[in-house]
Amino acid sequence: MTALQVRYYFHWDVVWRHIHRLYGGLFLGLELAVVALFIGSLIGLGGAFARTSRSRVLRAVFAAYVEFIRNVPLLLLIYFAYFGLPKVGISFLNNVSSFVMALAIYSGAFLTEVFRAGIGSIPTGYIEAGKAIGLTRLQNVRHVVLPVMFRIVLPSLSNTFISLFKDTALASAIAVPELTYGAVWINVNTFRVVETWTVVAAMYLVTGYAIALGLRRVERRYAVIR
Amino acid sequence: MGFEHGTPTESISRRDLVRLSVGAVAASTLLPSLLSQKAFAQPAGQGKLQEVLNRKMLIVGTGSTNPPWHFEDEQGNLIGMDIDLARLVAKGLFEDPTKVQFVREAPDARIPNLVTNKIDVVFQFMTVTALRAQQVEFTIPYYREGVALLMLKASRYKDYNDLMSGGNRIRVSVLQNVGAEDFVHVALPRSQVLQLDSQATVIQALDSNRVDAAAVDQSTVRWLVVRFPDKYKDSGFGWYPQTYAAAVKPGDPVWLNYLNTVLHEAMTAVEFASYRDSFKKWFGITLKEPSVGFPVEYAYRF
Repeated sequence: MTALQVRYYFHWDVVWRHIHRLYGGLFLGLELAVVALFIGSLIGLGGAFARTSRSRVLRAVFAAYVEFIRNVPLLLLIYFAYFGLPKVGISFLNNVSSFVMALAIYSGAFLTEVFRAGIGSIPTGYIEAGKAIGLTRLQNVRHVVLPVMFRIVLPSLSNTFISLFKDTALASAIAVPELTYGAVWINVNTFRVVETWTVVAAMYLVTGYAIALGLRRVERRYAVIR
Repeated sequence: MGFEHGTPTESISRRDLVRLSVGAVAASTLLPSLLSQKAFAQPAGQGKLQEVLNRKMLIVGTGSTNPPWHFEDEQGNLIGMDIDLARLVAKGLFEDPTKVQFVREAPDARIPNLVTNKIDVVFQFMTVTALRAQQVEFTIPYYREGVALLMLKASRYKDYNDLMSGGNRIRVSVLQNVGAEDFVHVALPRSQVLQLDSQATVIQALDSNRVDAAAVDQSTVRWLVVRFPDKYKDSGFGWYPQTYAAAVKPGDPVWLNYLNTVLHEAMTAVEFASYRDSFKKWFGITLKEPSVGFPVEYAYRF
């Protein structure tokens, strides 16, 4: 009995011919992740302070937001933003901005919990010391709580950024021309599935690893010594 | 055998003639016996047609998720144009359109199921291509599919000509596919093309006013316009023709001819009323009655 032999001939040139779609998509994906992380951080900060505030209403509202978003798939949020909002008259967002909004709201929920944990980790002595030297509540937040909290949550922020970068692949579902969309385009037009996904996987891997290395240096630079 | 001495014919010796004679006698003796063995395996007239008649049930390969061709009603029964045609074949075979067993299959299982005898025929919006015709035999066509532009009834653009005049402001959604952008540009050369990953999202983009038209199968456009006349309209332009036909396992001309006869008569004569009613039901178009007298299929077009 002769074993069934499947011969596959690689044609990498097909991928190189369309590499601009992949590079363009990679940079767009990084931009999307950065913008979403920035907006998500603002949401997360607000959420974290709301979750640690004395107001029961604020705490309940943001707890509901976090639980809702954490238990809903990101793809559903993307579809809702792009296909659902125009149904209720909100149609000024195009596919890119719809995606950024969905990703920012999604990351905002996770970052709310990250920042809340960070605030909770600040030794009470730091805040007491701020009060002792006469800082107002706002000054205490600005000069004591935020700088210390950011140093504490830096590793979690790095992880969130890498996750967000990978999540940008879902933008292909609404025709945002990021890296995965570029790969699908090459696939359906050339049928070189193995070559395309191999190159794209390598691009995700190298970029993700480079981001992780860079952020690890930042973490070391600003590490909290406790 | 001494080919070097001349042509093969010239070199035949007496001994060879004897051998040939013996061979001929043996062949004439054995051949009827071989033929009778074959006849035992497949009795006279026992092609697929006889097999189906003996079984008293037609087995049809089809799908269940593509309206208006083959899909489920609220009770889970298969309905659609493909289903109607399959029932028409069963009616011809058994005078009973319910004598059909449908085997639900993915499109990529159509040819394997045929060639492994799991089904008798495929009625599953199968596009005729030269490549497929090397693996199966197609019946005569029963529909000419094309691509059309689905629009919202409330759209500010009236029809195809209006879309054309919209130039590069026009946005069109289409399924991601080989050359999808060029394909849309054949109809609307300056339009912006939004390539999406499923037919559902292609239509959803239209519903959400993300695009001005969705490029989808013409039969889908017709079906949606019939089903939701207040919501959708057809732009009135179709392109990229392709033929739909039933398919059978190669090598059985009797079965193929039988199916061709049933389909031909459905589209031109005895069963025309059934075909016409199905066409009206699924595509919203009333077909003209074939004229009596000179056969319509040979009629000249003026």
